[in-house]
Amino acid sequence: MAEYRDYVVKLTVNGVTYIVSVKPYERLIDVLRYKLGLTSVKEGCGRGECGACVVILNGKVVPSCLTLAIRTNGAEVQTLEGLAPEGKLHAVQKALIEVHGIQCGFCIPGFAIAIKHLVDNNSNPTDEEIKEALDGYLCRCGSYSMLIEAARLTAKYVSEGRRYFDLRECLGE
Amino acid sequence: MTTYEYYRIVEEVFEKYMGRPTVFVGKKITKWDEVAKVTGKALFTADFLKLYKDVVWVHSVRTKYSHALIKNIDVSEAVNVPGVIRVLTARDIPGVNDVGYVIPDQPLLAERKVRYIGDIVALIVSKDPYSASEAAEKVFVDYEPLPVYIDPEEIVDLMTIEEKAHSLIHDERGSDVVAHVKIRVGDFSKALREASVVVENKYRTPMQEHAYIEPEAALAVPEPDGGITVIASTQCPFDARRAIARVLGLTQNKVRVIAPFIGGGFGGKEDVVNEVGAKAALATYYTGRPAIALHTREESFIGHSKRHPMTAWYRHAAKKTGEIVLVEANILLDTGAYASLGPFVAWRATVHSVGPYKVPNARIDTLAVYTNTVYSGAFRGFGNPQVHFAVERQMDILAEELSMDPVELRLKNILRAGDRTIHGQLLSVGHGVGLEDCVRRVIELSNWYEKRRLYSNQNEPVKRGIGIALMWHGNSIGVEGADYSSVSIIINRDGTITFRTGLTEMGQGSLWGLVLIAAEILGVPPSYFRVEIPDTSSAPDSGPTVASRSTVMGGNATVVAAYKLKKRLSELAGSFLNCDPSDVVIEAPKVYCREDPSKEVMWREVVEEALWLGVPLQEYGFYRATRAEWHEETGTGAPYITYTFGAVVSEVAVDTETGQVWVERAYTAYDIGRVINPIGAEFHAVGGYVQGMGYALMEEVVHSKEGCVYNNNLSTYYIPTIRDAPQIAVAFIESGYRQGPLGAKGLGEPSIVAVAPSIANAVSHATGVQFTEIPLTPHRVFIELEKRKRRL
Repeated sequence: MAEYRDYVVKLTVNGVTYIVSVKPYERLIDVLRYKLGLTSVKEGCGRGECGACVVILNGKVVPSCLTLAIRTNGAEVQTLEGLAPEGKLHAVQKALIEVHGIQCGFCIPGFAIAIKHLVDNNSNPTDEEIKEALDGYLCRCGSYSMLIEAARLTAKYVSEGRRYFDLRECLGE
Repeated sequence: MTTYEYYRIVEEVFEKYMGRPTVFVGKKITKWDEVAKVTGKALFTADFLKLYKDVVWVHSVRTKYSHALIKNIDVSEAVNVPGVIRVLTARDIPGVNDVGYVIPDQPLLAERKVRYIGDIVALIVSKDPYSASEAAEKVFVDYEPLPVYIDPEEIVDLMTIEEKAHSLIHDERGSDVVAHVKIRVGDFSKALREASVVVENKYRTPMQEHAYIEPEAALAVPEPDGGITVIASTQCPFDARRAIARVLGLTQNKVRVIAPFIGGGFGGKEDVVNEVGAKAALATYYTGRPAIALHTREESFIGHSKRHPMTAWYRHAAKKTGEIVLVEANILLDTGAYASLGPFVAWRATVHSVGPYKVPNARIDTLAVYTNTVYSGAFRGFGNPQVHFAVERQMDILAEELSMDPVELRLKNILRAGDRTIHGQLLSVGHGVGLEDCVRRVIELSNWYEKRRLYSNQNEPVKRGIGIALMWHGNSIGVEGADYSSVSIIINRDGTITFRTGLTEMGQGSLWGLVLIAAEILGVPPSYFRVEIPDTSSAPDSGPTVASRSTVMGGNATVVAAYKLKKRLSELAGSFLNCDPSDVVIEAPKVYCREDPSKEVMWREVVEEALWLGVPLQEYGFYRATRAEWHEETGTGAPYITYTFGAVVSEVAVDTETGQVWVERAYTAYDIGRVINPIGAEFHAVGGYVQGMGYALMEEVVHSKEGCVYNNNLSTYYIPTIRDAPQIAVAFIESGYRQGPLGAKGLGEPSIVAVAPSIANAVSHATGVQFTEIPLTPHRVFIELEKRKRRL
């Protein structure tokens, strides 16, 4: 195939700034997963249809499989790995454990990011708003009812000002 | 028959715990994998890529025709594309070119002919994923196209079940009928004379796609001695190992398969892993480098097994009182281009083909036939959702003919303790036959009678309906294979426990159930346990993670291992506590004497003492189910060790102007003997419902007449979203199965079986139209409603 030159991209992921060289056809998901090792970002379809690869990019939820890396120069990106400080869990992570909403877990990074983003912008969402925010994220194990419950619980924690939890607390230890 | 010690242990433990309170079993305790999965640390197969350097990528070049002879394959230009390391064809396979699961009919790389649109003609091994697509265009194949068959009725006549003249897809086998399974019970002509009502219909169910969110993946890594390790998204690490070793011409001890977290399986990650694992391993074999084979979503759609589409003709005959006297059926299962698990699916479908009812006379013929569609194999339910759709629709239609309530008709015919199944298998009390309890529970939860009446007269364009369906599902694999499982429990010097099995975790939570069983019997809390990732080089062969067998078979193996360890350590502790071993209570971190709790020692001290005294701290638990029995000419015997029973009620709304159907509420009750891990049990009841609802309302893989798949991605193949999922009430009946671990049975597959018919029955109730095909898409419902209007 034709040789393309490398481009340098500087982006901040989970608070850390990286300088990576990318080909013009490389996607953000490839950079996150294979160059930065952030494998919470999952590829389920490569077409923006399943929601497993979403990240928060400059404050918006985007599918990283449809985002070219070259377009993310100067961007701020957040993935599941960066939701909480080391040793802590974000409210959405605690909520997901508390409602036991995790089956195979492959879709969970996408749902967690979507719920976190929803609650950041609306700390008291209605069920309709939750469904609106999570519509288009696919969970084949069918945990939807538990995921709605997790979103409600996340909103409750965040609106109470409880954003981070000690990991031990989450395990009931 | 030899009576092994493990049968006695399982029954002894059953008796000890039946009806008694438990500490860990049946409790919602955070699963071992939840934190890893919620923090993004859980590694799925493709995630391991970040740990390896110099990985090569394996790209599959697939056929352009779905049925054709191969005259020549020319890869000379493809190998010269920059970035390409090797191009492999059938000639490069060092061992046997076959990845078939039940019968050897499926080449890894096509050589003489292609039989469906997913067949692979060459593999491109390249340094990155980008160069391969260019090289793929430069693989030139001369094909001689053959006629394409996408409908099994082109192969076999449904009513005569005779094979038709056609251009054979598997000419080497001499016939395109892969399996023919029968039941012949009773006297049909006499039964027909006794009957006052006869109902006969033709049913069709669609090809369903598993659509797990993680597509197939395998990563092969070379080992210094010429062996190969394959990390793969597989439900069956030991089967994958056998297949990969065969393709490479290696002994099984040189191939190691590791099954990390799996992003959904539902039966789809069984035989395809033979192919995907072998592709990666082959690339490693030739390059000496780690190799990854990663399917795109589109490849996943065309390249792995599906749920068999069924076409069936059913005839039910009953007395005026509602007693069924006869069931007759011709069932065609389209197994597509390769057998996959088709012969076993046909067998399971046949075993369950009359539903969970007392039926005195039956004549069933089930044929699995080849076509040029994507091959069908295992999918949650395994032939049973198909036949239940037909049987449970038949029951509703029969009820209407008899002017009976569908529940009343079913209660007249259901299997109860002491009854015999259609095969003559006695369902003793020890089986735990709580079907009637399941029915009564969903009736009560749903307020059946009142709603049934309420929804019977509606004039609004949006009509509501309520429907019920019952189910039964044989546990584990019956006569399909050697039905064993095993686990290892290793107590470490610090008192923690390593739990090891080759059964895999794909979201169902059954491994956590095994830990709860071990914790309960040993008296050591689940927090002491660490579950190891299944690895064929460290875990004992546990059989495949299929057929709702993990909790029952793996559970029994766990019971055996934990029981033996408990006995040994109680004897040891008793000796230095000066207390009878039967009086020793282990409640880690403490161990004490029941009669005199002041006689106490720490769990860790018992473990340390065991090491010094030479008392083994490891135990291997093995369990093999009692042998299944099946007489091929009559379809009689005892096909499964036992059955899970259940009842599902669905409430729907149908927009008669558009044909749109919504499920508003659902109620499920399953008798699973005993609930071991309530988190996992609920996952199944709810998740199985949602998947079954997709099957009932929206899912169908559609082929063009050339054998191409029209809807090969998630924007054209619809699966339920958060907006589709209804409220689902979940109830469990615990009748207790004597030969199950603490009385438990399986639920993974049963949870999908009755869903589609309950929804179809509700839609028929709402509209008055007897639907005989799913999915009930707006289009199909609208057309049927229009047809009815014209008839009226």
